[in-house]
Amino acid sequence: MEPAEAEFLAEKELVTIVPNFSLDRIHLIGGDLGPFNPGLPVEVPVWLAINLKQRQKCRLIPPEWMDVEKLGEIRDQERKEDTFTLMPSPYYMELTKLLLNYASDNIPKADEIRTLVKDTWDTRIAKLRLSADSFVRQQEAHAKLDNLTLMEINTAGTFLTQALDHMYKLRTNLQPGESAHSQDF
Amino acid sequence: MSEAYFPVGPGLGLEENFLSLDDILMSQEKLPGRAESTLPRLAFALGQGAGTGDSIPEGSKLEIPLWLAKGLHDSKRRIISVELPKIYKEAWRTVFSADANVVDLHKMGPYYYGFGSQLLNFDNPENPEIAQTILQTFISRFRRIMDSSQNAYNEDTSALVARLDELERALFQAGQKGLNDFQCWEKGQASQITASSLVQNYGKRKFTDMDG
Repeated sequence: MEPAEAEFLAEKELVTIVPNFSLDRIHLIGGDLGPFNPGLPVEVPVWLAINLKQRQKCRLIPPEWMDVEKLGEIRDQERKEDTFTLMPSPYYMELTKLLLNYASDNIPKADEIRTLVKDTWDTRIAKLRLSADSFVRQQEAHAKLDNLTLMEINTAGTFLTQALDHMYKLRTNLQPGESAHSQDF
Repeated sequence: MSEAYFPVGPGLGLEENFLSLDDILMSQEKLPGRAESTLPRLAFALGQGAGTGDSIPEGSKLEIPLWLAKGLHDSKRRIISVELPKIYKEAWRTVFSADANVVDLHKMGPYYYGFGSQLLNFDNPENPEIAQTILQTFISRFRRIMDSSQNAYNEDTSALVARLDELERALFQAGQKGLNDFQCWEKGQASQITASSLVQNYGKRKFTDMDG
């Protein structure tokens, strides 16, 4: 899966906006949205929020976890623990990129938030690599990692599955083959 | 699905993958061996004589490519016998088990893992140790490949891949691709439309060329 596909899935998450137009309730295949009244906050999926923002029809309200203190706490906890902490949203990386690219004027201290999220991401990726290395080194059959998000799995996944494939084939070499597959004449 | 072409990977077991380019190139690597019986008129084909009528006397040492060795190897009709190349022998095996990261696997034969797996086809009392050494070498070098491939963004990687064999280079490229895809998405280039690699080399034809 590519990062763009993960971003597509992330755009279904709900975010609060404050529209400056009015519209009755709209009925979409995925559910109903609306009604939109200027000045009243309403929850919409991210894809709609970004679109409205680009047309200057709304103001985005950042999710409550996108705040310097909260992210600082998460980052510190990530650094302390050996396991992965539960992130406030399974799509934190994608949402950060989307909201900070399109709506940074609505989000206070956008640069600090970007730095904090990047730090957390780096720590988690480092932990993932460490865990992959010990998995390979001890030739375990099964591992379980909690609280990983889709984007992290994508970045490390292809490499890891290929390496494990190779290891599997090399390991079956250890068992001597019983059947002779050459022709005798 | 942004790949234009999916290559067939090498079969790392006792059988090669027929369609894999890596396996085809790998089977060209040479093995030391001995001719067990006289081979009439084959001196020229095996690179040992000048005339077409020369034969190879019994017991002479030969360097044969793997595909030929696999075909001619048979325990009943003794045509040739093969020995292990030196990097799969006892001395080098202890080097690998001491520290596998310092070995330049590209120089030692760029297909260390594939070739080693194929060697297990020939009956040899050291086979279990060879298989174990190959596996352990792969495991020890895994960490370094992972770290170097996932951290080198937009740099010249030739120094990093110089000491890897072909299998490890393919893994390195997979890791780089994961990293590059992520970085390119983060910069926002993932939503830009680019020309496919298959058609980029086509020359642009002008309208006048197509008329008449």
